[in-house]
Amino acid sequence: MNHLRKQFPVWGTIVDVDISSSLVSEDGLNQGMQQVIDFCKQVDADFSTYIDTSWVTRLRIGQVEIVDCPPSVQKVWQLCLQAKHLTDGAFDPWAIEGGFDPSGLVKGWAADKCADMLVESGAEHVQVNAAGDLALRGGYFDGVVKPWSIGVVNPDNRTEVVKIYEITDGAIATSGTYERGPHIHDPLNGLIAIGAKSATVVGAAGWLCDAMATAVVVGGVDSAKWFGQPELKEYKVFGVYRHEDLAWEI
Amino acid sequence: MKRALLIAGGTLGGLGAVMAITPPQFSTSNSAGLGDGIGAIGGATSTPAASKSSTAVATKSATAKPVTTKKATATKAATAAASTSATATPVATQTTAAPVPASKGVSGTFTGPTVNVNYGNVQVQITVKDGKITDATALQAPSGRNDRWTNMALPILKKQTLAAQSASIQGASGASYTSYGWYTSLQGALAKAGL
Repeated sequence: MNHLRKQFPVWGTIVDVDISSSLVSEDGLNQGMQQVIDFCKQVDADFSTYIDTSWVTRLRIGQVEIVDCPPSVQKVWQLCLQAKHLTDGAFDPWAIEGGFDPSGLVKGWAADKCADMLVESGAEHVQVNAAGDLALRGGYFDGVVKPWSIGVVNPDNRTEVVKIYEITDGAIATSGTYERGPHIHDPLNGLIAIGAKSATVVGAAGWLCDAMATAVVVGGVDSAKWFGQPELKEYKVFGVYRHEDLAWEI
Repeated sequence: MKRALLIAGGTLGGLGAVMAITPPQFSTSNSAGLGDGIGAIGGATSTPAASKSSTAVATKSATAKPVTTKKATATKAATAAASTSATATPVATQTTAAPVPASKGVSGTFTGPTVNVNYGNVQVQITVKDGKITDATALQAPSGRNDRWTNMALPILKKQTLAAQSASIQGASGASYTSYGWYTSLQGALAKAGL
């Protein structure tokens, strides 16, 4: 079993990739890793709101229309529309000051893409952790294959795990106002979101986990109703109340 | 004036009876689960007044489906609910199905009243083991708000205290991690149930 773990800075944060495989050599794993690093840089170049030449920046300033954008940007735009629909507008990348900002979905979407690329390149057990948005494939190999055990950290104490999810294939995303400052706004009133202190969503698709986690921070306990929709039936939620040491889950 | 006061007193008394006088474990734990269910689909504000006065109960019984406590298992309370549900209104069943022991070690499956929210009926069942709610499921979920919400399963919130968990993990969602001990105990709303 060959194993490779690498952390690299991208998207203003750190991406941590852990892969192992008995199918490909260490060189093979390295090649897959390099592909992923290149892809992440491309995602940054396309989607960053901090890069003047990114497609998203140019969309924001009205320099281009969505039809002018490459397929990846159009795809993310479509996913944003879906997420907006599924959250009754609580997730709304178009309501953000300065214009369209898909940051609440892109990380989860990109982590998924990375994980799929790694599997394609021969990795059997994959964990891509994009600063709290994780994509997992093939379980964790510890002599035998087990699900990845992924902890959800306490928003008030990052050294403390308050929930553990076991995931073989899928995604988990946590959003909150805690990790990088209060960065989620309620699109309905423009104020800092106060629904939940942090929200974790577990499910099949990284983009949806990421967007839903963001939306649950806005919507709090009332967000539960969204998860009755067929598209979200298999998704799990773990929310932390804002002013109490309480959590709720579905 | 006197009559109005009497009516008000009667209503308050009825409310008091529903909210407080019924055995604390049963009524409050069910209402906690029920509140969750309602919050989950439409916000707590949609709670109908049905359970709060006898008039409303009568109104509601016309629209609410009979309680189907098919999942109810062998506890006195659940059996009582099942046996009376065919004839009584669900709310009446709920508030009069009394014989839950007031001890801390209450166990069993308890079915809440069918509540008519503005776009459907909600009915919640909780399972209590040794005084703790171990599960909550929706026996009835609302339908018909519009096509998108029709037939949706009603998600139930399970509340718990935020507590550290100890287990080995391979990754963390949120930030860097260390492992710790974790216990689930239902508090918050459930603490009010005296469980």
